[in-house]
Amino acid sequence: MPPSRCLFTFRPTFRPTATSQLPPTCLLRKPCTPTSTPQTASFSSSSQLFARKGKGDKGDPRITSIRYHLSHALTPRPLRLSRLRALRHWTIHRAWQLHRNKQRAAAELTLEKQYASMRAACEALRLIDENGLTVPGGSGLSVGEEGYGGGVGVNEAKGVKGEGRNVGRLYRAAMDKTGVWDGVPIEYARCQTDFPAREGWNHGWTR
Amino acid sequence: MALRELRSKTVSALWRDLRPCASSARPNGLRHASSNPLDDLESSSSLSTPPPSNDIIKSWDPVVRTRSRKIQLPPSRYQFRSPKFYRGPLHPHQPPPPSDPSSRLFQPGPFSLPRLEQTYESTIAPDLLTMTYAHTPPGWVKPPKAQRLREWVGDSPYFKNRPLRGPRGGAHLRLLTPPRNFRTIPKLTGVTVHSMVPAAQDDSAYMHVAGMILQAITNVRVTTHRARKSVASWGLRDKKFVSVTAKLEREDVYHFLGKLVDVVLPRIKEWKGVKGTSGDSSGNITFGLEPDVVAFFPEIEVNYDVYPPKMIPGCHITIHSTATNDRDARLLLQSIGIPFYGKMVN
Repeated sequence: MPPSRCLFTFRPTFRPTATSQLPPTCLLRKPCTPTSTPQTASFSSSSQLFARKGKGDKGDPRITSIRYHLSHALTPRPLRLSRLRALRHWTIHRAWQLHRNKQRAAAELTLEKQYASMRAACEALRLIDENGLTVPGGSGLSVGEEGYGGGVGVNEAKGVKGEGRNVGRLYRAAMDKTGVWDGVPIEYARCQTDFPAREGWNHGWTR
Repeated sequence: MALRELRSKTVSALWRDLRPCASSARPNGLRHASSNPLDDLESSSSLSTPPPSNDIIKSWDPVVRTRSRKIQLPPSRYQFRSPKFYRGPLHPHQPPPPSDPSSRLFQPGPFSLPRLEQTYESTIAPDLLTMTYAHTPPGWVKPPKAQRLREWVGDSPYFKNRPLRGPRGGAHLRLLTPPRNFRTIPKLTGVTVHSMVPAAQDDSAYMHVAGMILQAITNVRVTTHRARKSVASWGLRDKKFVSVTAKLEREDVYHFLGKLVDVVLPRIKEWKGVKGTSGDSSGNITFGLEPDVVAFFPEIEVNYDVYPPKMIPGCHITIHSTATNDRDARLLLQSIGIPFYGKMVN
């Protein structure tokens, strides 16, 4: 092997970037005269795109892409169905509407049952006296008549005095709305989850 | 010939006259309330009919059948397009109902069942009904209230035929709150996310980034708004685009609020909650988010580098509900998980 080839093997793959390795007498080194412009490099360090004629600053590429995707939405065109397909579509749609209607009705029925039972319970409590017996002829009376138990609403319930005081005491307690409008504690206002949390309750939590 | 025709006509006329008698002679009320209605149903359905025989299948020619039609069916690609403008109830062209797929207002879906919606139906609605139930005994009559729009009382002759006076304490009539029952539980109806970007008047990039961020957060196409008039103190210039809005409905509402309550709001440092004075006393409550809070939304957070950080906007969020006063709306939002602080104004 000739000696020149051996030298080639020892040559570094990448050229050294720093010019400080050049000797101070090298011609490439810029002459340091006070009259010349303060140019630091003999070549442009910016990319070629900026140097092209007629092409100014493109701006932030992120904004460019945002603008592109705002005007090129991926929304497909509306469906165009043939007659039979449209009929099939319509049938399925009606079935789906029926199903949702049934679900809605079931949910409302649950609430209605709850409302009815709450109402029945309150009515029973309103007419109960201290012995746990129903006041005779309590229901169906108008306000202010004798034997009218418990009072009417929230406000009337507080003013009951005298003999009727013990009638419907629990009802008045149930109608007391103190603290209801202060809201739901944030601990309880949580969404349902598919699975319980890994640690069921954070006992160290304080408000 | 004519005689024969006459005879046949008489027979048919007689038969027409006779038929009601014959039918009425039959016992027409065969089914009693006590009898089983299932007996009236046919046991065999059309689904169990055997398929057509071979010779019918062979002789079936759809082309001939189509050509022999007197009035041709519309072509296969014919689509009914509902009229673009509603021309009133007396116009012959009436639009189909919005639930019809051919309607212009039709919205497909829902395509998902959000957790928050399930929670509302199973927990929040019954809880609200229980908490706010007010009992009215049977036979109780609601005491009459004063007239909301007052009449002009006085000696002035100009009071005659004058329109009624506005309500006390304000220029407009407030909403009436119906008594609480299982149908009047407050419910979420929508969310409006609004972002005001005054910097967009000089550089439209702010507007585009704000629109893209709102779309990413809400899953809804945004609408842009111009400034109606110049306001020097706010730096607004006439007819320049200044804000973007996203209006959410249906399942988008629940998805957005679920994200907001579970992911975004817990990460705000030192956040006290929504101001107790917020609300327009007809069931809508508004609060604002800072730009760094908007960056907490998971859609923004996963590719935060896509947006220039300085251009991420803050936003105002208005939650619409069917509540008719601030108190009910606040209770609904609190049960969803949005805290309130300070003085509560109803």
